[in-house]
Amino acid sequence: MQRLRSLALNPDGFAFDPTTGESFTLNATGLAVVEGLREGLAHEQLTAHLVEHFEVTPLDASRDVDDFLDHLRSFRLL
Amino acid sequence: MKKQLTIGVSGINAVDNPGPGIGVARSLREAQDLDVRIIGLSYDAMEPGIYMDWVVDDAFLLPYPSAGHDAYRERLNYVQEKTGMDFIIPTLDTEMPFYMKYHRELAAQGIGTFVPTPEQYRLRGKDRLGELAKALDLSLPRTEVVSSLEDLERAVDDIGTPVMVKGAFYKAYKAYTGKEAVSHYNKLVAEWGYPILVQEMVKGDELNVVAVGNGEGSSLGRVGVKKMWITELGKIWTGVTIQHPAMMRATDRFMELYRWRGPMELECMVDGDTVYLVEINPRFPAWTYLSTGVGVNLPARMVRRALGLPDPQGASHDYDAGKLFVRYTYELVTDMERFQQMITTGERGDTP
Repeated sequence: MQRLRSLALNPDGFAFDPTTGESFTLNATGLAVVEGLREGLAHEQLTAHLVEHFEVTPLDASRDVDDFLDHLRSFRLL
Repeated sequence: MKKQLTIGVSGINAVDNPGPGIGVARSLREAQDLDVRIIGLSYDAMEPGIYMDWVVDDAFLLPYPSAGHDAYRERLNYVQEKTGMDFIIPTLDTEMPFYMKYHRELAAQGIGTFVPTPEQYRLRGKDRLGELAKALDLSLPRTEVVSSLEDLERAVDDIGTPVMVKGAFYKAYKAYTGKEAVSHYNKLVAEWGYPILVQEMVKGDELNVVAVGNGEGSSLGRVGVKKMWITELGKIWTGVTIQHPAMMRATDRFMELYRWRGPMELECMVDGDTVYLVEINPRFPAWTYLSTGVGVNLPARMVRRALGLPDPQGASHDYDAGKLFVRYTYELVTDMERFQQMITTGERGDTP
């Protein structure tokens, strides 16, 4: 979580890790989830946020959040 | 009125395997509180820096220090007589033994340097990486120091291919088979002598730090970089500044433990939380200008420190992560006369 918090994020979804120099590009939903995580939102709140702002069912949104968190873990960002 | 400083800088071979000299010279020129005249110390009439007169004022050909210290000193004496050179920044590994040995004599004749002691230099040698990694709390890829073909074959068997085969001073090659390792070994021994290092290949990102030790246990500044794009020779072409805590700590620890005096480059491979020590170079790296570009002008800080000049206000150790370094190619067209001058007289410039 420390690494996720230290990411430099821009509104277009470009993320830069100042510790390792790695950079990532996030789509709009990925950006919304990362921003939510940095604000301390829990899984359910992240899902609700996606349902509210994107055309997606709660079931799909929940699955997408799970997938995305796995991605973040694989990059050691969580 | 500021006194003009005449500073000799070597490594002005701005080629595909660039020497650090041009970045160092540009940094000195950009230090607003210093008035410098740059003397390029070169080894070949075709080193591009000789022709870059917006960076290098005068240039002189020197004999290789490995060809004999007397001839090298004699040539430096000539350069000083001709230009009034006050200070030299050697930037090539092969020059370090000479400058460490003769820094007092050079100082006595009015040429300042800021180089490590032979003991400091020895302790950071490639053959001491194990101790160094332990002291700096870094990991070390499995490494064997070899001085014979039998040792080499044994090391490759023990470590298992692929391996890196590294020269005593410069160059490192990947070897995917024992045969390839032998071929690299022979090439490196012929060019740079013994010992040769055989090292396990580790994966990860190449992260480096440039710093200047003040000789009293701390640094005059340090800047970290991640290599984003490298040439076939492994030289950085695009990079980005980083703030990697473990590497910064290792740099500080190195300064503290070894009381390093002069420039250095910490080279690491970083895989997740594991930081592997690759080596510590006893000189400025070729990407030194990046530090200047982000406000940490290490060559200028070193010269001020060595000559007892005051630091200008706002000489901060802080810099922003995320600043991009982009190297590029460029061409200039000039008269053949300069080349002829270098070939026939071994010098070119405006100094009368």
